[in-house]
Amino acid sequence: MTIRSSMFNEVPLLHIEGEMTIYTAALLQQQLQLYIAQYSELELNLSQVSDIDSAGLQLLMAAKRQAANQGAVLRLTGHSPAVLEVFDLCNMAAFFGDPLIIPDVSHG
Amino acid sequence: MAKTVMVVDDSSSVRQVVSIALKSAGYDVIEASDGKDALAKLTGQKVHLMISDVNMPNMDGITFVKEVKKLPAYKFTPIIMLTTESQETKKLEGQAAGARAWVVKPFQPAQMLAAVSKLILP
Amino acid sequence: MSLNLEQALQTFIAEAYELLEEMETCLLQLENNPADLDAIGAIFRAAHTIKGSAGLFGLEPVVSFTHVVEDVLDRLRAGDIAISRTLIALLLECGDHIHYLVDVVAVRAQQPDAAATEREAGLRQRLQLYRQTSVSEAVSTTPGVSAVRQERGSSFDLWHISVRFGTEVLRNGMDPLAFLRYLNSIGQIVRITTLADSLPELSQMDAESCYLGFEIDYQSDASKAAIADAFEFVRDDCQLHILPPHSKTEHYIELIKNLPEQATLLGELLVASGALTLKELEDGLQQQVDAALKPATPLGEILIEQRFVEPELVQAALEKQNQIQEHKSKESRFVRVQADKLDELISLVGELVIAGAGANLLAKTSQDETLYEATSTVTALVEQIRDGALRLRMVPIGDTFNRFQRVVRDVSHELEKQIELQISGADTELDKTVVEKISDPLMHLLRNAMDHGIESPAARLAAGKSATGVLKLNAYHDSGSIVIEIADDGAGLNTERILQKARERGLVAATAQPSEQEIYNLIFEPGFSTASAITSLSGRGVGMDVVKRNITALRGTVDLSSAAGLGTKVRIRLPLTLAIIDGFLVGVGDASYVVPLDMVQECIELADDSKAAAEPRHYINLRGEVLPLVFLHQHFNTGGGQRRRQNVVVVKNADQKAGLVVDELQGEFQTVIKPLGKLFSNLRSISGSTILGNGKVALILDVPSLIQQLAQQQVQPRLALQTPALRN
Repeated sequence: MTIRSSMFNEVPLLHIEGEMTIYTAALLQQQLQLYIAQYSELELNLSQVSDIDSAGLQLLMAAKRQAANQGAVLRLTGHSPAVLEVFDLCNMAAFFGDPLIIPDVSHG
Repeated sequence: MAKTVMVVDDSSSVRQVVSIALKSAGYDVIEASDGKDALAKLTGQKVHLMISDVNMPNMDGITFVKEVKKLPAYKFTPIIMLTTESQETKKLEGQAAGARAWVVKPFQPAQMLAAVSKLILP
Repeated sequence: MSLNLEQALQTFIAEAYELLEEMETCLLQLENNPADLDAIGAIFRAAHTIKGSAGLFGLEPVVSFTHVVEDVLDRLRAGDIAISRTLIALLLECGDHIHYLVDVVAVRAQQPDAAATEREAGLRQRLQLYRQTSVSEAVSTTPGVSAVRQERGSSFDLWHISVRFGTEVLRNGMDPLAFLRYLNSIGQIVRITTLADSLPELSQMDAESCYLGFEIDYQSDASKAAIADAFEFVRDDCQLHILPPHSKTEHYIELIKNLPEQATLLGELLVASGALTLKELEDGLQQQVDAALKPATPLGEILIEQRFVEPELVQAALEKQNQIQEHKSKESRFVRVQADKLDELISLVGELVIAGAGANLLAKTSQDETLYEATSTVTALVEQIRDGALRLRMVPIGDTFNRFQRVVRDVSHELEKQIELQISGADTELDKTVVEKISDPLMHLLRNAMDHGIESPAARLAAGKSATGVLKLNAYHDSGSIVIEIADDGAGLNTERILQKARERGLVAATAQPSEQEIYNLIFEPGFSTASAITSLSGRGVGMDVVKRNITALRGTVDLSSAAGLGTKVRIRLPLTLAIIDGFLVGVGDASYVVPLDMVQECIELADDSKAAAEPRHYINLRGEVLPLVFLHQHFNTGGGQRRRQNVVVVKNADQKAGLVVDELQGEFQTVIKPLGKLFSNLRSISGSTILGNGKVALILDVPSLIQQLAQQQVQPRLALQTPALRN
């Protein structure tokens, strides 16, 4: 997993690439903590997430909650098919409240 | 993308049966003939599940589990241990080493597929 | 793969037959004890397993029909429908049909024929009644009861699964999401709530620990065991509660109480999903509170009380799982071996016995003391191996006996008689081949006893007996043989009628006055039937003569005793195994013959003078008894000169004695029977062959048949037997 970060209108945008699993959870936790502590707004782009497991999911849940507790905004965007599958499986869309874009099947 | 399963057993017929069953269900399979062979074949590729016999020459299944738990890239891989009912002590040893999934030999391909699909779908 | 599947298919077929047999046994148990939950569980499991396994092999007709049966059984198990005689009868028929389907579809790879399709349609129609009718509907004539039921059982038709994963799950390589996906593969998650109540703050959490829990409403036809099985690899690492559809309100309340989260949250979830109404939830929780407020009534007691009131579903499920585990451990104590392999082993052991005997013979003649000792040790060990190997083939006769419960039940219904089958000695073991071959003769004897032996209830009552007739099947070991007894407490044999019939049929001369035992034996004559009207059961063209022939072919004997008004007992005596016998080796001319040792009574020398007298008469005087003789020389037209000095081996079978005149007595000899080829199947006096230590072939004498031939020769002039079939 790699995290590419960029700033967009003074809001940090984190691009997570690769797997969000137990193998990468510790690293991701550390990064998320860092950003949530510093910024009142943060965007996580999940379009390049190849795989997400329970560790990845609960980390996102903890991060979302942490942000809310601090009055910060954590937005999840660009959910990859792997992420969508898990959100759907666990019925998590409402919890995160981010708009999900269902991939257009005709375009693969 | 097909999920990869590693099958570790010194019996080539067991490997063959399991592997044919897994492949027909849509998994990719890596075969290894014992713990040592298996460790040598873990070269950084993603392995989603391992199936390992307990009694094997060169390196037995319990040792293999312990070794896998030391490898950062593989330590959280689910492992199904193949056991016979008489191996209660082996089972305890295996549990201590972190193995949780057991399939009792002899099994039918379908049983193995059911066990595998509880841990990972193809 | 095709080979593997073929093998697995064979396993399935064997498994299915076993399960069907178990199902039948349990159904019959249920008939006697309708409250037997174990039996209901076992029956359900049998159908369920057959359906499941059949699915693996794509045996669609089996799956489709068994599914319907399983469905009814599931309702029976859940107490939704009540057991009844009609239902048991229906389920027995269903078992038969599944058996047929397995036969046709799995064994012969064919499709069911038109008659079967029609039969299945009928069964399905009858089953359908039980799929729709619930207990509450069935008792709707008593509205009070029905109303109570409606109130207690919720209408919630989904499973509710409540699971909290332990922290170590992820580190052990288990992903909770995988179990959810698996659930979706054997059913459908209708509603799911992911719980993160135990999830710590981001900074506090251990990223590799698991903090998740799920409340799931689940739609599936799978059994509770199958659903629980989805979690088998995390069972030790999670808290799992599964409530079946239509669980009672109390169970949901209890679940809420048992879970770590706040009661209100979970309660709301359950209300939202429809498992509970708001009122039920409030009442239930209030009850808990009330209980907690009254220290005099501990909470546990209320729960116990509820358990007492309601047959606990959870408890039942637990018991069921225990049963499955017991069943599994029972299974694992057995190793399934192909019969061929066992036969091969036995055959090899047989060769070993022969070779050992050969070596022993050589050692004896070499007069080398130490060599003789060494070979003696080897022989002793070989004997142990032989016994051990033969024991491998030994199976208890109980399974065969139990199969007859069904026969007795069906036949007694058909005959409108009340008959109880009592089984004893079910543990008695005998060779698998013998078991297989004795089943048909036993069946016939039983049918015969039910048909002709046991009287109608009215006749029984009139005779001062209880209306229910008793059939007893018993087995025990007796000096190297197994004895099987079939006894009834019926009217006994009517010797007058037998004799009359025999005379009508021309089996006995009108003037002859046979003894009682001889009259009984007439029953075993070809084509004999005493029933004044031939019923559908016994008039099937199989007579007692066939029974006797089958038993004789197994080197067994059959005899019969009877007391008028009290009943009849048929006693079958069979060798424990067909593979090896202890024989007595005799020489006739330049040939050798083996006489089964257990039939040899004594050996006497045939002195010259008595020989001269015996030869034309074919009998000698043995201590005042007439001993008929068989001169094996003439009987077999043996080559080689006849010795001047001859011996008589006195053999006995079923109280009949005969003397076999031979040239030489060669001593005891353990021998392996090699069956004769089809070519020799017409030989009446020979039952097999064996190879001697010196490589020569010796024929094994069929003593019962020899004696029978003798008896016929003797009896013919006296009783004037005329049936052509009796001639050799």
